[in-house]
Amino acid sequence: MRRRILASAALLAGSALLLSACAPSGSSGGEQATGDDVTLKVWSWRTEDVEAYNKIFDVFEEEHPGITVEFEAFQNTEYNQILTTGLAGSDGPDVPMVRAYGQLQPNVEAGQLEPIDGDVDGLDAIAPSVIAGAKGKADGKTYAVPLATQTLQMFYNKQIFKEQGLEVPTTWAEFIDVQEKLLAAGITPMALGAKDDWILPIFADIVGSARYGGSEFEQKVLSGETDFNDPDYVASLGIITELQKYLTPDVVGVSYTDSQIQFTSGQAAQFPGGSFEIATFRNQAPDLEFGSYQVPVPDGAVLDAPVSPAYADGNFAINAKSKNKEAALELLNWFATPEFGQLVADELNQFSAIPGVEYEDAVMKEAWANYEDGQAPYLLLVDFRYGEPLGTAVLGAEVQKMFLGQTDAAGAAAALQTGISQWFTPGE
Amino acid sequence: MSATSMTTAPRRRGNTGIALTRRTGMVFVLPALILFGVFIAYPLLTALSYSFFGWTGIVRGDFVGLENYLTLFTKLPYSEDIPNAFVHNVLLFVGAMLFQNTVGLGLATLLHRVRRFKRFFQTMYTLPYLVSPLVIGYLWSLMLSPLFGPVNAVLRTIGLGEIAQPWLGNPQTAIWVVVFVTAWQWIGFPVLLYGAALGGIPEEIEEAASLDGASSWQRFRSITLPMLVPAIGTVSVLTFIGAMEAFPIPYALGGSQGNPAGATDVLSLLFYRTAFESGSSNAIGTSSAIATLLFLFIFGISMLITWLMRRAERKLF
Repeated sequence: MRRRILASAALLAGSALLLSACAPSGSSGGEQATGDDVTLKVWSWRTEDVEAYNKIFDVFEEEHPGITVEFEAFQNTEYNQILTTGLAGSDGPDVPMVRAYGQLQPNVEAGQLEPIDGDVDGLDAIAPSVIAGAKGKADGKTYAVPLATQTLQMFYNKQIFKEQGLEVPTTWAEFIDVQEKLLAAGITPMALGAKDDWILPIFADIVGSARYGGSEFEQKVLSGETDFNDPDYVASLGIITELQKYLTPDVVGVSYTDSQIQFTSGQAAQFPGGSFEIATFRNQAPDLEFGSYQVPVPDGAVLDAPVSPAYADGNFAINAKSKNKEAALELLNWFATPEFGQLVADELNQFSAIPGVEYEDAVMKEAWANYEDGQAPYLLLVDFRYGEPLGTAVLGAEVQKMFLGQTDAAGAAAALQTGISQWFTPGE
Repeated sequence: MSATSMTTAPRRRGNTGIALTRRTGMVFVLPALILFGVFIAYPLLTALSYSFFGWTGIVRGDFVGLENYLTLFTKLPYSEDIPNAFVHNVLLFVGAMLFQNTVGLGLATLLHRVRRFKRFFQTMYTLPYLVSPLVIGYLWSLMLSPLFGPVNAVLRTIGLGEIAQPWLGNPQTAIWVVVFVTAWQWIGFPVLLYGAALGGIPEEIEEAASLDGASSWQRFRSITLPMLVPAIGTVSVLTFIGAMEAFPIPYALGGSQGNPAGATDVLSLLFYRTAFESGSSNAIGTSSAIATLLFLFIFGISMLITWLMRRAERKLF
């Protein structure tokens, strides 16, 4: 009998864990804004940046007497839940940091954020693919000020390049030549952790964006003029297979963190990745001399110059329930100024979304200059994460299958088209 | 409170030492009941109700009946992911059962006979069970790394280089790594449970059987095994629940997408992706439907296993 109770209790409790995970919790309590002095609550998921943000907000408070900013950061992985609860209740943040693109939509659709079109100056100066990350998909209104931009490019180990007598390639032939020479010298040309699927669409765009046409292709695929079965897109995925022999051996078994170590320890000469790697590389290997370049344009490419795909990473918005909207708007206006952009660069070591910012770090400077010369959207993140399945997730798994020989470029492109067709209708 | 209940209670309960009125009993049960209600029953029922509605973000929309369930079986990616993940859950269960009821039972039997170091070995076998499965998962993914992992390095050193491979990068081996690591972590549990059950078998019975000339296999088959059926039942049910809900180890070994290419995907990962990683505005509706189906399935099959085991017990005795 006791055993029976134990077993039943265990199975009930065990299964309940799953169910309770999806029940949102309520929130209560209230707070009135009193007096002339206003305190703005700002929430973020960047627990590692608390000190930097306090410095940044000191500058703001000095320039805007009467407004005090209270910065609070929460665990990144739990932030979405915490924010959802906070915005639903009455003691949430006035100015929350919110996700970009598709991940922003649940908050927009629930009416939790205040549209800011016309109320914030300087939004026009922000790159279209970046400001798109702050817009509601359905109504096209802007709900936030973008914080940072991430650019995607090829990083390379300067010392290895020097030892092997290699130059940064400017043509496709030179690019392949660099890989061949590294391979012949017994150095892994490129470190890639294909066990983690999310890095793969990034890799695909770093080597293939110019081939399929960057933002030109974006317009065509959004309007329905073409789709992912387009020969140019298929050819861009074909590059992945062409480059497989230059990647870490057994690439699908290698994790993303392993590939980082491969690069920082000098076992691999290049690393296709996002600008968010720069800080990591500096921490892991302070002595590592590295730079970045845009992968040259392959034969038959739609674009005639190389590009750095990019996307917005994080936005600041106004809680629709905030009692201090005027002050919150003042803060958002400040977020859109080059002054704040410069602080993002200097204090947070990120690319600001605001143009006209100078970068001191040599690698950041170089990567930013490249991006300004040739911009493209990180297509699957910018435009195809608005429904299930996510475009990035489908292509990630398909590229793994390509590496494993289970599918080819045409098959992967077709699977991507089928996947996003579940929720995407061109022209909408 | 009333004199009558105080006097009638002892008579009704016969041999219990302390007499409790029904009302006092209720008061004692109440805290547990409240906890159960708030943290288990309420979320369970709300999730069930969520699965019948359409959602926009966290705002509940119209009643949609079974549409969310229909989505799971007719629309991509669910219609492909669910069968794929389900097969892996079943593999996990079958693998864990095989491992526990052979290796686990074998170890327990050996430990039962050992007198010295018994506690030591018991502790050693149970140790992985006490470590967070997430830690175990990440540990194994480090050990199996094709670049820096010791497993392949050892294989190459002892001349078995041709077996060395990207264990977690090859879809044919990846799911078996998940099965193995799960079984490996759990092995201490059946060892303890079977050990306790073996300790509960009276020695006289075995002695009598050996005096009657029964071989050791006959003794195991006709005495030990039947006496272990209740323990096997418990292990089976708990293993089944564990296998169907497996999350931390597959997550640590293959990420939330069940890499590579869905080869280590399981139902809980699918639920997690749908609920917390999809950009879909109806994430709550669809994920609640997955959770509800999973709960009903686990509950139903667990009941079935319990019933079958009890019937087997009755037949044996």
